[in-house]
Amino acid sequence: MKKIEAIIQPHKLEEAKEAMKAIGIDGMTVSEVRGHGRQKGHKEIYRGMEYQVDLLPKIKLEIVVPSARADEVIRTLVAAARTGKIGDGKIFVFDVVEAIRIRNDDRGETAL
Amino acid sequence: MAVQIPPSPEEVHATLASRNAEVEEQVRQAYSKTIQPRFPSGMALAAVGGFGRGELFPCSDVDLLLLVEFEQQMPPAREALSAFLQSLWDSGLRPSHSVHTVADCVTEHEKNSELTISLLDRRLLAGDSKLFAWLDEKFAAFLAKRGTGIARQLVNLAEARRAKFQNTVYHLEPNIKDGPGGLRDMQTVRWLAALGRNSGSAGLSEAFEFLGALRIRLHETAGRDQNVLGFDAQEELSEHPAALMRDYFRHARSVDRAVQRALEAAEAKDASLLGRFHEWRSRLSTLEFTVSHDRVLLRGPARVDQGLSLFEFAARHKLRLAADTVDRIAGVVPETYWSDWKKLLSAPHPIFGLRAMQDSGTLAAAIPEWSKIEFLVVRDFYHRYTVDEHTLVAIASLDSIADPRFADLYAEIEDPALLHFAILMHDIGKGSRVDHVDESLRIARQVLERFGAPEADRAAVEFLVARHLDLSTVMTSRDLHDGATARMLAARVGTVERLKQLTMMTYADISAVNPQAMTPWRLEQLWQVYLLAYAELTRELYGERIHDRTPFLEGLPVRYLHTHSQAEIDIHLAMVRQLKTRPVSIEIAHERGIYRLTLLTEDRPGLFASVAGAISSFGLSILKVEAFSNAQHIVVDTFTFADPHRTLELNPSEIERLRGIVRRVVEGKQDVAELLRGRPKPMLPSRAAHLKPRVVLNNDASQTATLIEIVAEDRPGLLYDLTRAISAAGCNIEVVLIDTEAHKALDVFYVTIGGRKLDAELGMRLKTDLVAACSTGV
Repeated sequence: MKKIEAIIQPHKLEEAKEAMKAIGIDGMTVSEVRGHGRQKGHKEIYRGMEYQVDLLPKIKLEIVVPSARADEVIRTLVAAARTGKIGDGKIFVFDVVEAIRIRNDDRGETAL
Repeated sequence: MAVQIPPSPEEVHATLASRNAEVEEQVRQAYSKTIQPRFPSGMALAAVGGFGRGELFPCSDVDLLLLVEFEQQMPPAREALSAFLQSLWDSGLRPSHSVHTVADCVTEHEKNSELTISLLDRRLLAGDSKLFAWLDEKFAAFLAKRGTGIARQLVNLAEARRAKFQNTVYHLEPNIKDGPGGLRDMQTVRWLAALGRNSGSAGLSEAFEFLGALRIRLHETAGRDQNVLGFDAQEELSEHPAALMRDYFRHARSVDRAVQRALEAAEAKDASLLGRFHEWRSRLSTLEFTVSHDRVLLRGPARVDQGLSLFEFAARHKLRLAADTVDRIAGVVPETYWSDWKKLLSAPHPIFGLRAMQDSGTLAAAIPEWSKIEFLVVRDFYHRYTVDEHTLVAIASLDSIADPRFADLYAEIEDPALLHFAILMHDIGKGSRVDHVDESLRIARQVLERFGAPEADRAAVEFLVARHLDLSTVMTSRDLHDGATARMLAARVGTVERLKQLTMMTYADISAVNPQAMTPWRLEQLWQVYLLAYAELTRELYGERIHDRTPFLEGLPVRYLHTHSQAEIDIHLAMVRQLKTRPVSIEIAHERGIYRLTLLTEDRPGLFASVAGAISSFGLSILKVEAFSNAQHIVVDTFTFADPHRTLELNPSEIERLRGIVRRVVEGKQDVAELLRGRPKPMLPSRAAHLKPRVVLNNDASQTATLIEIVAEDRPGLLYDLTRAISAAGCNIEVVLIDTEAHKALDVFYVTIGGRKLDAELGMRLKTDLVAACSTGV
């Protein structure tokens, strides 16, 4: 199993969710996060004072899938979340050691 | 050859029935354990959607409706419902449920017409049968009253869904559920019939069984609700994927025709009487034809068994045939002569006439050879459409030419009917074992003779069919500035009129490969080829070039002067001056969607390969490279590339980063192999799509250089490895032309050694090295 963690532009969430649904991925965890990468924030003016906004709002998607489907999910996410501009975000992929459904103690891929 | 896909038609019905029974049993049991005890009456469970129809595919969602008597029952029912759903989830089903009162079900929902539509296929599973009977009664009354509005919503939904698939059946990797001609379309026909909007889906049972068998296999193979018939699946399902797809397109087209007819009928019923009266009196109508809703109907005296006047009428006024007309001309084999075809193909919008002929089957009736390319699939992963559809899309592309240069050129053509007929014939020989150009030419001759075309027309069409690949070959694999290229072109084409026709034919042919095939670069190259051949044919010589004795120009090949304008040379001279203070000078320019990076520096081995690698590492795709060096060993390299992800266009700062990386690479401070390691390998369109590399040396195409033509599977760093192999053999690369078709890289190198062509021995050695370089990764 792989965990796919995608940090994307907030306005791309709907498209990403739709794209996941279209390839039959039903479960995901979505959180609102803040951060920056090479984009390094931007300047804003507040009450005449210019100051640096370092942390930009982003959406984090976490999806755990059987390893065999990871590649397809990544390709689909990239296509859905891309605008082409710096700041589109990043995708990180992790190995998942175990998945457990708390309700009935299902283990492994059946718990996904 | 018809392909039998397991399961057989009987098995399709058996599989669906047994799946349905099994799920029904599970759902009933879950209901009786969780909901029934707490709500013995006032609540009912219904199967809706596909489950309601009893057409449950192995991994489809199980659509359920929980019907409640009163709104107030919903909160207490929630707990029981969640226990119900949980037990379904645990038994591996994918329930998709909704909870509604009867009043809800018989209200028109602007935003949720899916509810109304799903209710068309409702079926009681468990619970209060009186409540369900009440819904039946109310819903029938609701349909009687609101049928028109529901039909309109259904039409809108179907049209929006079909538009997502470009309204065409002919996708090489079709979605057999939602795509045009798929199961959803078939369902739309049935729904509209249930609403009294058409005569129903009689005659579609064979198509249902075929599509159903495919969907069952797709679900079983993928283990989920997978409905895209991809290349891999085609190979798994059949030993003859092309034959399987031919069968698929035949069935999908029959569904597509049925749904179009149903949608048309529903729209017509929907139109107001007055509107229809005005339409009826349309000013276009003639003695033979009547026009209603932009569709042609036949009047009494119309003759459809002689000539092509019906289609010419459609082509003149941009019209489609009404369903009734298609019925009336079904099976008619029109007797046609060359003059009929000339009239049809000289009309302002010939594609409308040809589409009408294709959709009614008349095209294959009038030209029996056409049936050989109907639904014919070319499995090169680059062509998007079947051969017949490609041909029609090619003619359609001439109906709306965006580029003014080509629009003007098309308008200048004296007899466009000849061009149109040649396009109709250009791929008709595909699918035979012999070379398709020769076969198309043979068939074109036969057809022209049968229609009694005069000698001059026959010669013009035959010329175009025989030469239809020449210009695209030249533009992708020949250096246009090599004198030999222009002379070869002029000799083959002969006259300016033929050149214009051939240029427009090439324009149409490339445009119809897939929607992205005519890139700005290809468009520009085609225009340059036209200009080049035109100049050669009209003996318009290039203007005199400069004879400056600037040290920079010393030792540069004469070709440099031929390929650069005075302005470009001035820029290079300014760049040379920069070299006094820094080791490398780089300019990046952008025009018509194409980028050009010019680099001046002192030559060193592997320079060319490194810069190519640095550019590729940005995800940019190199199209052409030219390299020159002068007596002082200063090189002028020009890299022309496209920006497929719009990286440079949308992120101006990336241009500076590119310049910085190229500089570091040239200065040897950055390892190119490391840069390229991060690029993803292009996805193979199917597991069986691997290509064996092919390397061909050609010493005849250019006067000064040896051409090395390479076809290989594309991958990041391929160009880098190839150029490195050529440099390692001590050869100079003068020009590189790069093209890709899906996962196939087509590279042509103009190579010299000591200013001369390569000898046979070196050629053989280099060939071995290059084949090896094609397969090794960075």
